[in-house]
Amino acid sequence: MLSWLIFIPFLCALAALLPVRRIFRVWLLGATALLHASVVGAFWINRPAPEWNGYLVLDPLGLILLSIISFLFLSVAVFMIGYFQHEQRLNRTFIACLLLLLSTMTLVSVSYHMGLLWVAVETTTLFSAPLISFHRSRGSLEATWKYLLVCSVGIALALMGTFFLAIAANDVHTLFLPALLKQAPLLSVNWLKLSVIFLLVGYGCKMGLAPMHSWKPEAYGQATGMAVVLMAGGLTQCAFLALIRVSQICFQAGMSDFYASILIVTGVLSLIVPAVFILGEKNIKRCFSYSSIEHMGLLALGLGLGGLGLFGALFHMINNALVKVVMFLTAGSIAQKYGSSRVDDVRGLIRSYPLTGIFLLVALLAGTGMFPFATFHSELMIINAAVIAKHYWLAAAAVICLALMFIGVSRIALEMVYGQPTEPVLAKKENFYMNAAIAAAVALLLWFGFWLPEPLEKVLREAAALVGV
Amino acid sequence: MTTWIDAGCILIVFFALIILATSRIVGMIRIFVLQSCVLSLMPLFLHAEAVSARDVMLSLGTVSLKAALVPFVLFWAIRRISMRTEVKPLIGVGASIVCGALLIAGAFWVSLALRIPGRPVTDLGLPCALATVLLGFMIMVTRTRAVTQVIGYLVIENGIFLFAVSLFDAMPTLIEMGILLDIFVAVFIMAIVLNNINEEFEHDPGGESRAKMGETF
Repeated sequence: MLSWLIFIPFLCALAALLPVRRIFRVWLLGATALLHASVVGAFWINRPAPEWNGYLVLDPLGLILLSIISFLFLSVAVFMIGYFQHEQRLNRTFIACLLLLLSTMTLVSVSYHMGLLWVAVETTTLFSAPLISFHRSRGSLEATWKYLLVCSVGIALALMGTFFLAIAANDVHTLFLPALLKQAPLLSVNWLKLSVIFLLVGYGCKMGLAPMHSWKPEAYGQATGMAVVLMAGGLTQCAFLALIRVSQICFQAGMSDFYASILIVTGVLSLIVPAVFILGEKNIKRCFSYSSIEHMGLLALGLGLGGLGLFGALFHMINNALVKVVMFLTAGSIAQKYGSSRVDDVRGLIRSYPLTGIFLLVALLAGTGMFPFATFHSELMIINAAVIAKHYWLAAAAVICLALMFIGVSRIALEMVYGQPTEPVLAKKENFYMNAAIAAAVALLLWFGFWLPEPLEKVLREAAALVGV
Repeated sequence: MTTWIDAGCILIVFFALIILATSRIVGMIRIFVLQSCVLSLMPLFLHAEAVSARDVMLSLGTVSLKAALVPFVLFWAIRRISMRTEVKPLIGVGASIVCGALLIAGAFWVSLALRIPGRPVTDLGLPCALATVLLGFMIMVTRTRAVTQVIGYLVIENGIFLFAVSLFDAMPTLIEMGILLDIFVAVFIMAIVLNNINEEFEHDPGGESRAKMGETF
């Protein structure tokens, strides 16, 4: 079943390359996403068996990521039906790359071999790059180039780290995750340390942790909203899964403290850097991209702190994906209506497009972790973990950075929603499909904010137990 | 056989150094082809007593992807954007070689501190791989053209690959093939993006951007 889940989107991608009508590709993506989502939904009831001689295994960690990916693609597919009613651009490469991305991201979430994991993460980088240059403007091509180069080099370092891990595992003779975890005490400590540093830099680059975040504002600012949702909610969290796998190995090898200290440092850095840069920003997409660096920082911090922080980080993975849907699909819908996402061109949303205005407010509140949205709880858990571990300065720094973030985002978002309305408006009406996709994510954020469903909590607990720290 | 292996390792570093000191893009790609050919022979040298099907496959895969397909794509790209010479390296040739030599010395010094578990066939594998990776970074950093940055990336990958083949056999062939294929697709997509950048700049009526063509940002 797992290999089919990887293989079917791949075949559909090939079908999308055929010369057919644009709307056919949109429906193809929708159908594939729906199929993917229903299969993943079935996995919640009945977990599939390992496949390909143990290369593909779905554990609770993978299940969380896989469900996130499935949800993201489904909302993007629904949004796209509305989007391409107004967009005349050819969508062949775009949709083919989206489907390939679905296939490779599925592979990331189920790969149980550190080498295969690297191959899968690298492939996601490659197929996401063409998505950024959908608009073919000079800025977007520059951003694509920067993304490709920075991430390729970063991922090359992760490959180096994977090879160092193989040297460390000289006595284990394999890079299969279960074998590594079982015989972790046999790993050579010095090589493992070296490998961990390279893996963190490599996958951290892909995840966009500071100081390896330089591609993020450009890429997110230039790409179309749908592509950014998949990158910010899916790709970066695929890289985070790789970091969680490293964490599992470190825990079993008794090196948690070493890994945790590096994670906490990069996490705090990823909170401080965007908080400083966001204050001068005029473009809502770039603004949200700084917010997404900050969310990555929170994830790294939670993983580093362990315990409650780890549970919070896993919960935050889900919330982060939902928030990204609200943020970037709203930004994409604004960009299509006004032909811009700068605060100078877009004002008075609440009068011209009331629903989009409300969604932007939700993006502001949920994105900065306000009650009653689910992000409030997960961020609180992570900060709470810092307090429990007696890192008081850390908790204080996190709270200050989050406050700065709120000021930075609200400064633009409020102006866009309540400012003096601007003309001209490209699309006159709100689109049902576009709003339905965003509304679903808002509803889930509210739902998880008030009540965490029991099956979800159970899987989160199982996943946290797998990591151990 | 150890002599051959050592010679191969040193040749790979040597070629990386020449790429660093070359100013013509065509020349850089040709030397990269030579480097990849030497690299593709390494799996055969390492298991000279009993060459397995896996070694032959790896060797053939490396040759066909790195010494044939990748250069082909790169040549296609530079023909499309009609750019043959490197205009302004940030650091002159002499200074580049001196820096490169320092990096090589650094790589050897670092590898003294790292002890590889088990008994490696050659002592030169680790230092040469590290030196090649560092030289690749140097090529990437000191060149301002987009194509030369791709070449730098490829040299880094060659260094990592040298490391992989000379030190251990823990990676299954399938994964190694996946890695090779990924690198090829990376170069392919980079070439397409370069081409798109070029087209975008050609449509631009302003003459000033024409001079910047292919230059990174």
